Amino acid sequence: MKRTVALLEKELADLRQNPALFMPAALTGFFSILLPFIVAIIIPQVTGERLSDSSDFQLAIQVYRDQPSLRQLDSEGAVQAWIFQQFLVLLVLTPVAGSMSVAAYSVIGEKQARTLEPLLATPITTFELLAAKVLGSLVPALLLTLGCFTCYVLGVVLFAQPGVFRVLFTPRSLGIVFLVGPLAALAALQLAVCVSSRVNDARSAQQIGALIILPIAGLLVMQLTGSFQLTAAVIALITAALAAINAVLMLVGIGLFDRESILTRWK
Amino acid sequence: MLTAEHLTRRFGNRVAVDDVSFELAPGEIFALLGPNGAGKTTTLRMLAGLIRPSHGSISIGGETLDSSNAPRLRGRVGFLTETPGFWERLDVRHNLLVYARLHGLENPDAAVDAALDAFDMRSRARDAAAHLSKGLKQRVALARTLMHHPDVVLLDEPTSGLDPESAREVRDLILRLRHERRIVLVSTHNLDEVERIATRVGILRSRLVAMDTPSALRARLFGVRVRVVVRQHGNEFVDVIRQAGFSDISANDGSLSIAVDDATSAAPRIVRALVNAGADVQAVNTEKPPLEQVYLRLLDQEVRSPSPARDFGESGQPDATRP
Repeated sequence: MKRTVALLEKELADLRQNPALFMPAALTGFFSILLPFIVAIIIPQVTGERLSDSSDFQLAIQVYRDQPSLRQLDSEGAVQAWIFQQFLVLLVLTPVAGSMSVAAYSVIGEKQARTLEPLLATPITTFELLAAKVLGSLVPALLLTLGCFTCYVLGVVLFAQPGVFRVLFTPRSLGIVFLVGPLAALAALQLAVCVSSRVNDARSAQQIGALIILPIAGLLVMQLTGSFQLTAAVIALITAALAAINAVLMLVGIGLFDRESILTRWK
Repeated sequence: MLTAEHLTRRFGNRVAVDDVSFELAPGEIFALLGPNGAGKTTTLRMLAGLIRPSHGSISIGGETLDSSNAPRLRGRVGFLTETPGFWERLDVRHNLLVYARLHGLENPDAAVDAALDAFDMRSRARDAAAHLSKGLKQRVALARTLMHHPDVVLLDEPTSGLDPESAREVRDLILRLRHERRIVLVSTHNLDEVERIATRVGILRSRLVAMDTPSALRARLFGVRVRVVVRQHGNEFVDVIRQAGFSDISANDGSLSIAVDDATSAAPRIVRALVNAGADVQAVNTEKPPLEQVYLRLLDQEVRSPSPARDFGESGQPDATRP
């Protein structure tokens, strides 16, 4: 554990020296936040048309006004609540996007910089090394998510109708941001680190790791089309599945990490 | 004690290291010589617990290296890799601190301070590794290698690319390790360096072609020769030396070279005979062909007759057969 912490601190210190690495994540976070405000606040302001007048949102109005905590919302507030909650899934993408390039570069970057061999010559175990590499990408990404979520809440408090912000503090919303998001990110990062330890080009790892974005994007689309709802029960199920996937990925990662191949075959 | 027994490493069909055995004691500096691709780095990596031998075993301090104890035994080895390999954006101190913690040192900060002082790097401690010269990087890499006081020190090309002054510093340090009773194994192409520091030499070409002290290898290949410088022409005294019981003599303008069995006992006899014959003896010494000649001849012999028999001296292997 001490060795994992030592290497993790090094990873974070290294990242602090190169903050541009997180630029894609910051941009993803910014647009994740901006998009629902454009849909729910800016477009109705510019066009002068209320979203609640559209028949497309009638179901949302009915569902959201039925919730005890949101009962005081008017029709427009209910639509805003629906939009801000649906787009919350986009925030899940933030840590994934943010940490993918870092994770993809983690092992292969050490190899390319010729720092891997002296590192492997220490008593560090494969588990300790991989754990530090994954956490080194995950920790800053989670901080970024927290920052984005805070901005999101502040934006909703400031610009949406009074009371809409409550929708962001339901178990469903918090589950998406603080359970599904980090666990999905963890899975993506583990996948990227696994691949990073098997390929000799960081881009391969990044592209394969990015596959995790597909199911998340799919969830968002299904939600918006109304074909699937992320209820608290579904979120609990997804959380359990992601936890299991992460455990398997860690075992697979340790199994796949072949010190010998990395040292002798990569040039 | 560091013991390698029948170490063999294959990569697919290629045999990188073939049946290499040796035993190194504390205080020994063993130089591993060989052409590029001879298996030197692979041997070092096996000894460092980084790659497994396909066959054979390694033991450190009597404990056989295997996958279960490799992490712990790696802590008893200091491995200077061919390239220093620093996290370039981090400063020197931080680079060392990470390793001090990875080695589980009790007081990592104090260990780093001690290493910085020992290698005279305190003033550069806050410099990013990227800003160091190659010589300074090598110095820090050595500090990193030795910071945890390993019993076994493996140095892969420690002076490669260094200027003469930096190379001398590294050599001095290696000699210091000998006095600290560490086991030092150096892989190098620098034969002059080997001459200066090694207590034993192993010549590797996948197989261990020869292993002994530099002087023993030299004597075995070229014999022992005493060189006497005289004021007269050397040819004038060839018969005198022959009468003194020596047969292999060469002479030139001002010197004689005489093959002997033992220079210590032969030199006084030769000098006495020469002086009695009226020679003005100006200098007497034992001829030392450069180690490069020894190295090249051994490799040449290996290429001409790559037989399984190898040349190990008394201090080398039990199967002391000549090629």
